[in-house]
Order: sequence, then C-alpha cells, then structure tokens
Amino acid sequence: MGGWLSARELHHVRGGRDVLSLGSLDVAPGSRLCVLGANGAGKTTLLRLLAGVERPRLGQVSLDGVSVTGGGVAVRRRIAYTAQRPVLLSTTARRNVELPLRWRRVPRKRCRSLANAALERLRIGHLAERQARSLSGGEQQRVNLARAVALDPDVLLLDEPAASLDAESRTAFLDDLGRALADRATTVVHVSHRVEEAMRLADQVIALINGRVHQVGSAAELIHRPISADVARLVGYDNLVPAHVRSDGTVLIGQTATGLRLAGYKGPASVAVFANGVRPAAEGDAAGVPARVRHVSLGPGYWTVSLTVSLPGVTDLAMTLPIGTPVAPEGSTVRVVFDPSLSTVLPATAATRQPHPLPVPALDPATALLSL
Amino acid sequence: MTEPVIDVLARSTAVALWTTLIAGVLGISLGTALALARVGRRGILIAIVNTGMALPTVVVGLSVALLLWRTGPLGDLGLIYTLRGVVVAQVLLATPLVTGVTLAALRQLPRELPEQLRALGANRIQLVLRMWLEARLALLAAVMAGFGLAISEVGAAMIVGGNIHGHTQVMTTAIVETVSRGEFGVAITYGAVLLGVAFLVNAVLALAQRRGSSWADG
Repeated sequence: MGGWLSARELHHVRGGRDVLSLGSLDVAPGSRLCVLGANGAGKTTLLRLLAGVERPRLGQVSLDGVSVTGGGVAVRRRIAYTAQRPVLLSTTARRNVELPLRWRRVPRKRCRSLANAALERLRIGHLAERQARSLSGGEQQRVNLARAVALDPDVLLLDEPAASLDAESRTAFLDDLGRALADRATTVVHVSHRVEEAMRLADQVIALINGRVHQVGSAAELIHRPISADVARLVGYDNLVPAHVRSDGTVLIGQTATGLRLAGYKGPASVAVFANGVRPAAEGDAAGVPARVRHVSLGPGYWTVSLTVSLPGVTDLAMTLPIGTPVAPEGSTVRVVFDPSLSTVLPATAATRQPHPLPVPALDPATALLSL
Repeated sequence: MTEPVIDVLARSTAVALWTTLIAGVLGISLGTALALARVGRRGILIAIVNTGMALPTVVVGLSVALLLWRTGPLGDLGLIYTLRGVVVAQVLLATPLVTGVTLAALRQLPRELPEQLRALGANRIQLVLRMWLEARLALLAAVMAGFGLAISEVGAAMIVGGNIHGHTQVMTTAIVETVSRGEFGVAITYGAVLLGVAFLVNAVLALAQRRGSSWADG
C-alpha cells in the first residue's frame, strides 16, 4: 500500500541561492507524480527533501503524518530513493538488491527470491552474478531500480531514471519500469526534464521552474494548455512568438494572420507552436507569416528548417517537414502558417504571470493534490 | 649476557600487535567519524590529523616520557620503562597515520554513497559497516601502515622503554645498541629477523584482504 506523502512550506537554499520554494504538496497513496523541470529547476532538491536525505532550510515532509525530515530509520525504510547516478556497491548485482532487504531483517531465502524477482522484472536476471560496477550504464540503472522495487516501498522516488540512456534504451527501459510498477500500489514520484517520460509514467505532472511550481495537471493538460511561456518551453514547444489577438479572435503576428484563433480575449499574446506545427502556407491562402529560409538540415525522417521571420520584433522559427516534402532552398522567402492542433495561444496575462499565487487546477482527489 | 633473540622478537611483535590493535580501532573510528562529519566542522580536525602523521618519534617519546616520569602528571600509573608505556607512545604515533589513511580511503568512495545507503534504509551501524566493506582494501592498508610504524619505531621505544635488557628491549632498540657496540653482524641478524616478521605479518594481512574481498563479493 502506498503512503500519503506531504510537504508543507518547503524552502531550501543552496550556496546562498533560493533553490526551492513550495507551498504545499500532497501525493495520495498509489498515485504517480512527475516533477517536470529543466536542469537546475530544483527537481533533484525536491526529491532529496522528500526522501529525507537532505533537510530543508524551512518546512516539513511527512509520510502518513510521520515526519520524514530528520526522521528515523523506520520512516526512511518506507521510502526508496534512487539517485540519478546509480551508486552501486562493489559486489554482485544480486547482492546489491539483497542487501537493503537484509538490513530490514528479511530472511535470507526470501531476500534471494525477492531479489531474483526484481532483477527479472527489470530484465537483468541473467546479470545477477555479475559484478554490479562492471555492468553498462543502462544495466547499472536497472540494478539501481531493481534494488528499489524489491523493497516494495510505500513511496518510490526516482531521480531522472532514464537520463543516462540513449533514445532506444530509454524507450525499452521506461517500458520495463512501467511494467515493474504496473501492479503495485506504490506511490511514485519521479523527476525528469523529458515530457515523454511524464506521459509514460505519471498521472499527474508538476511543472517546476526556478524552484517554484508553475502548473499542475496531467501531461496532456500541460502540453495542450500550458499556462505560461515558461511551461510551454518546458513541455517542448519549439517556437514562442509574440502575437496579438484581435477582438474577432484572429491571432496576428505583426499584422499577418497566422490561421489561429482565440475566442474571448483581445490583446497581446504569445503563440507557442511545435516545429512540426509550422507549415508552408498553401497557394492562395490569405494567412501566412513571411519568413526567409536560413538553414535546412536533414534529420531522421524529416527536414529541419530554420526560418527568420520577416516581421519586426518576431524571433526565428523552427520548422520540421516530412522527408518527402519539397523544401524551399536556403535564402528563399516562404509564408508559413501554424497547425491549430500543434499550437497554443497564450494571452499575455498568462505568459507573464508569476508563479505565486496560482489557481489550483481541478485534480482528481484520488490521485494527487497540490496547492500553493 | 646476550638475551635470546627469540625473546626480544616476541616482545617486539607483542608491542607492535598491541599498538596496531589499539591504533587500528582508534584510527579507523576517528577516520570514519571525520569522513562522515559535516564539511564545515572537520577542517581543523583534518589538519590536526595530517600534522599528527608527521610527528617526530623522538618528540613523542620525550613528551610521553615526561608525562609518565615518576614525578610527572601520570607518574602514578607506573608506565615509564615498561612495554605498556612503549605501546602508549607508539599508539600516539600510529593513530594519526591510521586515521589519515582511513579518512583518505573513505573519501575515495563515491560521494553519494552514504546518502544512498541511508536512502536504502541502512541504520548508522549498517552504513558504517558497509562503507568499511567498500573501502576494505584501503582500510587494511591503513592497518598495515600502523603495524609497519610500530614494528620499525625506535625513538619513542628507546626513550619511554629505556631499552632495558630482558624487560623493555625490542628489536629496534637492540639493533641500535649492538651497532653502538660495533657488533654489526648481530645487528644485521636482528634486522633480517625483524624484516622477516614484518613480511610474515603483512602477508597474513594481505591474505585476509583477499579473503575479505571474496567474502564481500559472495
């Protein structure tokens, strides 16, 4: 059974810098929460404070009402924390998994069967007798996770579990991790800077920017309705362009129509658009932002086109096109429009909004609840 | 009359082993405490330990002799010109060495290891034992260094023990005495025997090191 993890008024300072400031966080038993943030956003700090391996400057972390902050062994043993860089012991993979179980006075035979099961779940059963430190980075990360999963903790805290893996290994690893956790009631909090990890593993996501929570919701909500330009950048929007919304809802960049609309708002805004949502305007299309093709490069299955928008105050644009599409040569001028399904318009009030105070999104109380 | 070399050797070995045992326990404990202490608090202590590693043996011998002298502050203990007094002096010399090597050994471990062990649910004793196991080879080197110092030390043994025949004379002080008498053959014999014992003890420790590794890996 997962535990109810709570944090209250957490503030942390490192090197004289305010690295984390969090009002209130409650993670319900069995829920899967992802803390999404760029490097240096305070994700690891938050996880370490939740794990009790570091004390906050101010505030309290508790598990089912028992203080984790400076707590004893009993409460720490209900939480398993895996660091981003696996710290494995100089023994076999199996012993690495068994040892924390032995510390909990689990009988030797039971230790072995739990360790074997955890190693199998992470698909490294065949490496059980190998020296853990001689394994590859990906295999070591799997041992690291098997060690945590074998403990069947009430709370599992994962720090960028797939960070050190290449794209192919990461996909397989995340599948295996998801499978290993699938039938467990463990409360899982994991931090990542990749939104795709959040989508795979979490039912709730916190967008953490500069040590402060900017948005809470499902991964899909954050992607489709980011509340600010910072969150839009975090969830992977490649382009953020200053725009203006007319009273009829038409979204303009400069004085040019983009093909996007936003009802119920008039005034300055930003357009966030994925690179694959930028498309050359069709012949005869009235909308279209004029841009010069600065650079064209070939990626796996697509063209990446760098555009310089020919309007005052507008930044460059990135566009990706399927590899079969004809691409305008470098130096030529094109007109581009934005695919509404791959774009979002952020009113300026949202784009410039400060993280305090934030409206609390309507969340399923059975999963996670966060307020500031 | 010359005392049988075996008696002097037995005395030397006993003093060195007692010194190694006491300095090992003290040095490894202190080194561990320093390695796990908060960074801000340990700087001065580390500086003291580092200074202690370079203590001149005759200065320590003189200081201990003054303390243990019959009219000195610890004179009532009756340790001057005894093997126990020699052990006290050598422990003072060997402990900073063992502490320093232990500290260096534990600081060689991954910086995140202690917190990872805590996060996996280790209590304080389990954490320390695991860290020792992780640094076992270097810790045995620390113990070997302590033994090496004790078995070869002459200045403090001479001053505190007094090199009394049949009582406090150890191999090193016996070598000094025979050389001063011009008996170089005897001195060389003593030296060879001393080297043999040092080799034997270190071989046993090296074997323990290897066994320890396989046990930890198993």
